[in-house]
Formats: sequence, structure tokens, C-alpha cells
Amino acid sequence: MHNLLDDYAISNALRETSARLKLFLGLWAILLSVSSTTPIAPLFLAITMSLITVMLAKIPGRIYSRLLLVPLSFALLSAGVVAFMHGSGQTLFSLQLFGLNLAIREEGANLAVLLIARTFGGMCSLYFIALTTPMIEIFAVLKTLHIPQSVIELSMMIYRYIFVFLDQAAMIHSAQMMRLGDAGTKNSLNSFAMLCSVLFLRSWEQGERLIVAMDSRCYDGKLDLMEPAKGAKPLAILAVAAYLAAATAIAVLTRGVILL
Amino acid sequence: MHIMEGFLPHPWWEIWFLLSLPVVAFGVYKMNRMIMESRETLPLLAVAGAFVFVLSSLKLPSVTGSCSHPTGTGMGTIIFGPWITSVLAVIVLVYQAVFLAHGGLTTLGANTFSMGIAGPAVGYLVYKAATKVGLHLYLAVFLAATLADWATYLVTSVQLALAFPATFGGVLASFEAFAAIFAITQIPLAIVEGMVTALMFKYIVQLRSDVLVRMNVVSQNTIKKLKEALT
Repeated sequence: MHNLLDDYAISNALRETSARLKLFLGLWAILLSVSSTTPIAPLFLAITMSLITVMLAKIPGRIYSRLLLVPLSFALLSAGVVAFMHGSGQTLFSLQLFGLNLAIREEGANLAVLLIARTFGGMCSLYFIALTTPMIEIFAVLKTLHIPQSVIELSMMIYRYIFVFLDQAAMIHSAQMMRLGDAGTKNSLNSFAMLCSVLFLRSWEQGERLIVAMDSRCYDGKLDLMEPAKGAKPLAILAVAAYLAAATAIAVLTRGVILL
Repeated sequence: MHIMEGFLPHPWWEIWFLLSLPVVAFGVYKMNRMIMESRETLPLLAVAGAFVFVLSSLKLPSVTGSCSHPTGTGMGTIIFGPWITSVLAVIVLVYQAVFLAHGGLTTLGANTFSMGIAGPAVGYLVYKAATKVGLHLYLAVFLAATLADWATYLVTSVQLALAFPATFGGVLASFEAFAAIFAITQIPLAIVEGMVTALMFKYIVQLRSDVLVRMNVVSQNTIKKLKEALT
């Protein structure tokens, strides 16, 4: 049941690189692809970020390609709406549907392509962060960014309990499957509701036990984490800087190019 | 209903961040006060947040469309109120983006506004109004969860329409198009989530009704009546 991206992050080949550097690289790439005005820079970022994730971080290619399908349905659906609703210029494509005249025009098509490119550029950069930086290291960085203590505390506890509940949900689910809990719509709805409520009650009881456990260990509203002092290597900083400079240059230089 | 990374263009993703920030900040303030009052709320909030995440990573049965998972915020808002639910929603949305690739980081502000603020606010108001009028508890829960989902999906359509107004007909025409496309999956999905949440309440009332009474969700009297109806 566990197939969270965090599982790969813990054992990826770039694990030892400084978390700050990886976050900086990922966030810069995300901002760059969302603010670019042509599809070229986002596509460049999508391809290079994917290569970095698969080749350098050694994330299995099969898993990565399956991940790329996640944003596809949303991107195509919404970009489709934009393409039909937007634009002037020459009509590229039109059809009659239920008496409505639907047409894709130049501007709309360009915008749709740009949106799909941006989504993929952004998602590939997000995958880079998600697949190379474990959450624990992100918490350590967040602590230095003046995020309210209670929020970080809450996030850390949520993070801990996600895994506990995922396992429980998987166990309950397979128990229900074995007893034909998924036979028919009514049964499967009922089973699903039962799963959710049992999960809720178990998590509530777990929370009550957690209070006792933490109280007996003198919890005072702060869990301290040891952040292993991993400085970035000069070579890594240089490589990231060169890569980001190149990507930014591509975005700036191609800002006036029109594809269609 | 998450907007994917990179889909909202330049001024809009910043605007939604700015709009969500004060609400979430007030939620953090409320949460801090609640923690000060009784220390045991933090662990309970944590398990509730984890529960919302796990709920949203489960696939709902028998609905068309690929990404049919419950939001779980209807449940959160009934128990903790809309302000604190917004804080939980931000954390859960970050985890969804980083663990499951649902949503994104630049679109976090917009997603927080639709899923963590608008949806829970509507759900909370509906729940309060429905219980005040004296509707049956399960019906009130069903309405709250379903309408919270619909509010989320309508706000998402508004966000996309504002960012991409149609050339002919402007924002309104664009909104209609987005809303119509998403309606195919979202309208049945919300009804299913409403039913599941109501059924969940039924089980909780049967097994641990004290939790609901302690969080001031339902009064002791209603619980008594519901239990009598069962036997």
C-alpha cells in the first residue's frame, strides 16, 4: 500500500547532498517554469529535471514515468477548456457539437500548449524535491525559516501518523476484500464508511495514548530534532548555479518566440 | 479538486496566497490558544490531520473519473471548526503535493483557499444552520460534507476562470465551461462523500459518542435520541 514519494526520497542517490541546495534548485525551477512566457523553458526544465531525478538520484524509470501520468488528466482537461474558450486569430480546428460551434484558435492553442508545458515543468521540479529530499530534512530547514513552532510541531506529528494510519487502512481494506465487502455498490459504500470510521476512532484513541506517552516523557510543546550539519560541497553549488543560470538564460532569451 | 503545479499564471498564484494567508494566520492563532488552554489538543489535531491525509489518499468506490478521492475537510470542519481546519488543510495539501503529487507548491495558495477555507466555511455554516433548524443529525452531516465539496469545486472553477477568461463572454463564460467539465466527476463524488461522512458519523455515535460530545459537535440529548432510535 505504501507508495509515497517519501519512501524513494529516503534511499535516493542524492540523499547526502545538502537539503537546502536541493530545495533551492527545485523551488527556483518551479518559479522559473511558472513565470516563463513560452513553452521552451518549461519543456527544457521538464526534460532536464527528469534526467537529473532518474540518472543522478537513481529513481527507477518505471516509477517515474508512472508519476508523470498523474498531472496528465488535469492538465489536458483544463488546457482543453482554455483552448476552446480563448483566443483570436486563425481558426485551427472546429467542430459542431450539440449545435454548439467549438473552435480552437491560434491564441488559445498557444496558451494551452504553454499551460501544459508549465504544468510539466513545475511537476518535474516538484518531483525532484519530493523524490530527493526526505521530509525530516525539510522540517529542519523550516525550523530556521521562522514558521510558527506549533505548526511545525503539528506537521511533524501528522507526518508520523500518516504511516501508521496508511498501514491500518490497508489492513482493514484487505480484511474487507476477503469477506467480499466490495460486492456491489451498496456494500462497497458501506465498507468504505466503516473503514473511515474505524480509522477515525483508532486514530482518536491513538491520539489519547500519545498524550499520555508524551506527558510521561515531559513533553513541553517542543520536539527537538537534530539536524545533521551537512554543508553543500563547492562543486555541487557550482553545478547547481551553472544549471540554473543556463535555464534562466533560456527562459529570458526565448521569451518572445512564438511557436504556432 | 487540486490545481496542478504551474497551471496558475503570474499574478494569480500570488493573489491566492495573499488571500489565504490572513485566514491561515488567524487559524494558527486560534490553534495556539486552544493548545494553551488544554495541552491534549495538539496530539488530537495531529491525528485528525493524518486522518484527513489518509482519507484523501484512499480511492472512493464506484465513481467515474480518475482522481476520485474524498477531501475529508467536511469532517474536519464539523469537529474542529473552519479556522483550525484551514491550518490542517495547508499541512495536508503540502503533504499531498510532496507525497502523492496532487496539487503543487505555487498553487498551494489557491488550493488552500478552495479546499481549506471556502469548503470548510460553507460546510460549517450549513452544519450549524441545519442543526439549528432541527434537521436529523445524519442529514445535517450529509448536507455539510456535500455542500463543502461543491463549494470547493465551484471556487476552483472561479479561480481558473479568473486566470483564463474567455475571449467571448469573459470570466462568466469561462467559469461555466470549467464548472461544466468538472461537474461530471465532482457532483456525484460530493454526494458519495456526503453519504460516507454521514455513515461515519453513524458508526462514531454508536461506538464513541463521547468524542463528539466533548468537542461540542452534538449535545448529549441528540446522542441519546439517536441511540434510542437504534435499539
